[in-house]
Amino acid sequence: MKNAVRLALALVLGLTAVGTARAADTIKIGLMAPITGSWASEGQEMKRNVELLAAEQNARGGLLGKQVEVVVEDDGGDPRTASLAAQRLTTKGVVAVLGTYGSAVTEASQGIFDEARIIQVANGSTAVRLTEKGLKYLFRTCPRDDEQGRVGAATIERMKAKRIALLHDNSAYSKGLADEIHSLLKAKGANIVFFDALTPKEQDYSAILTKLKAAGPDVVFFTGYYPEAGLLLKQKKQMGWAVPFIGGDAINNPDLVKIAGKEAAAGFMFLSPPVPKDLDTPSAKAYVVSYQKKYGEAPASIYGVLAGDGFRVVAAAIEGSKSSAPDKIREYLVGRLKDFPGFTGRISFNGKGDRVGELYRVYKVDKDGGFVLQP
Amino acid sequence: MEQFLQQLTNGLAVGGIYALIALGYTMVYGVLKLINFAHGDLFTYGGYLGLTLLTSLLLQGRLGAVAGVLVLAAMVMGLVGLLGVILERAAYRPLRESPRLSAVVSALGASIFLQNALMLIYGARVQVYPEGILPQTAVSVLGLQIPLMRIVVALVSLVMMAALYLFVQKTKIGTAIRAAAIDQGAARLMGIDVNRVISLVFLIGPALGGAAGLLVGLYYGQVNFTMGWIYGMKAFTAAIIGGIGNIPGAMVGGLLLGVVEALGAAYVSVAWKDAIAFLVLILILIVRPTGLLGERVAEKV
Repeated sequence: MKNAVRLALALVLGLTAVGTARAADTIKIGLMAPITGSWASEGQEMKRNVELLAAEQNARGGLLGKQVEVVVEDDGGDPRTASLAAQRLTTKGVVAVLGTYGSAVTEASQGIFDEARIIQVANGSTAVRLTEKGLKYLFRTCPRDDEQGRVGAATIERMKAKRIALLHDNSAYSKGLADEIHSLLKAKGANIVFFDALTPKEQDYSAILTKLKAAGPDVVFFTGYYPEAGLLLKQKKQMGWAVPFIGGDAINNPDLVKIAGKEAAAGFMFLSPPVPKDLDTPSAKAYVVSYQKKYGEAPASIYGVLAGDGFRVVAAAIEGSKSSAPDKIREYLVGRLKDFPGFTGRISFNGKGDRVGELYRVYKVDKDGGFVLQP
Repeated sequence: MEQFLQQLTNGLAVGGIYALIALGYTMVYGVLKLINFAHGDLFTYGGYLGLTLLTSLLLQGRLGAVAGVLVLAAMVMGLVGLLGVILERAAYRPLRESPRLSAVVSALGASIFLQNALMLIYGARVQVYPEGILPQTAVSVLGLQIPLMRIVVALVSLVMMAALYLFVQKTKIGTAIRAAAIDQGAARLMGIDVNRVISLVFLIGPALGGAAGLLVGLYYGQVNFTMGWIYGMKAFTAAIIGGIGNIPGAMVGGLLLGVVEALGAAYVSVAWKDAIAFLVLILILIVRPTGLLGERVAEKV
């Protein structure tokens, strides 16, 4: 038994040694993304963004004179798969990990990276509690749901709606956001006539829409994802019901309009960090052009671009601190990185690892299916 | 009352799709005592193949709306049926004599393979059917606004189920299928080619599943590569409610499950919709462990 433990220990040490030896030639940055599973389209965009930026970085001479190597692990959009993916990444000598998309998935992996002292920069995990645990090496380029809740509640108030319906899909993100808006509106004495959840991944939401319609709301806020939002809009129109719908930042995807159809999507409003086309900095514009050149289409998902911003802040921290040690990177990100010109706006981090500043904007779908930034 | 009737039609439309898929589960189970977990994915292939054929062959323009869709449906059913036959040859026939657990694992593996193959071929993004293939008008029945397509979906599922029932009950080949379901050894002694019967079952079941996939694509306008999972689960439940192995049972189970879901969402809670549906499943199984119509063991297919 003792021998077995020793053998295991020796193996682990051996592997770590191999890991560090390999890390000497290149700087490895991990990407944990849902390459398969139901969020595969988001994960594949994350991969495209990060790989493009890494290639550009390498063309400029890499980082600290070494080439950057992106190590991709698939988390399948599933917390169990994610913890295995995170463990594999920790054995591969990465200095930082970008990702991942879902809050529950990041939650399953954040402890593993923290223990291994690896910087993690999440790109789509907006649940509030992730950064409230005092984990030293966790950052995120996306904003938090409490900010989104504030903007959402303010938008509803501006619409002067009297009867409000809230619909979520029972996922950690969606329910958290709905609860946030619910409590903010309740505190102001708003009349919430409907608060319930649908089952994601279904095709037919007419039962829910029939029930929603019977509750007679002036506005419906749906906090779920774009496939369900698209179907809701389409089936709402088939019913001949004209109530306005608002959504959260998981709906910012052009596929929304494809699923709903232009006519049904027109007038829909959602909250989101600004998309690349609405940023007028030269770097963001140049990026969209080079992305289009490489992949034949503009970036579809904001979360892919936020993963790209994660790559750029990590690269800036490694260059700025002249080190790839996790404590040096953290120190740089928290203390010295101020108003970094990200593609999604200026980036600074607070001590918790959260991005500071107002990020959310309100977008409206116009009659041609374009997403128009609202003043 | 109006809301009740509206929800009833909502439930029947969803239930019709469940029933069509459930037929594939129940036929395969009847003959092979195997739960074909890949059946939900064959349903998804129906939706995707329908989209590809629709956009590449331009049947609409050449044959007109109704004839175009009928030809399209025949092609999709044929192709998905063929896929089912290949699946049986590749994944189930080599394991025919193995313990049943091996075949179940093989079915799960086939499901994962089919789903990921679809993702790699078409990409992970949602695929959308072109708009305006079928008229989007609504019919007014008893003061209710019911989309025409919804009635078409319900009618098409009913016609297909009835045709299958008559085929299995009244024709010679149908009798062979029933014989193989009761006792494969005895059927072989009677001169029935059991392998061909099984191939036929794997042609018909997936063809109906493929038709359901096409209906979903045409009606809801979008398909995604993971949709087979949830529809497969529900259809499997429907097959069990009706009594697995029993063809009319799958139809009754599917329609019942759809209606229970819609009414549960309407009168209890939307979030509890699935919980209510599965509670009904448990209650039915407590009272009738073989499902609603599952007692006539001798006639099951």
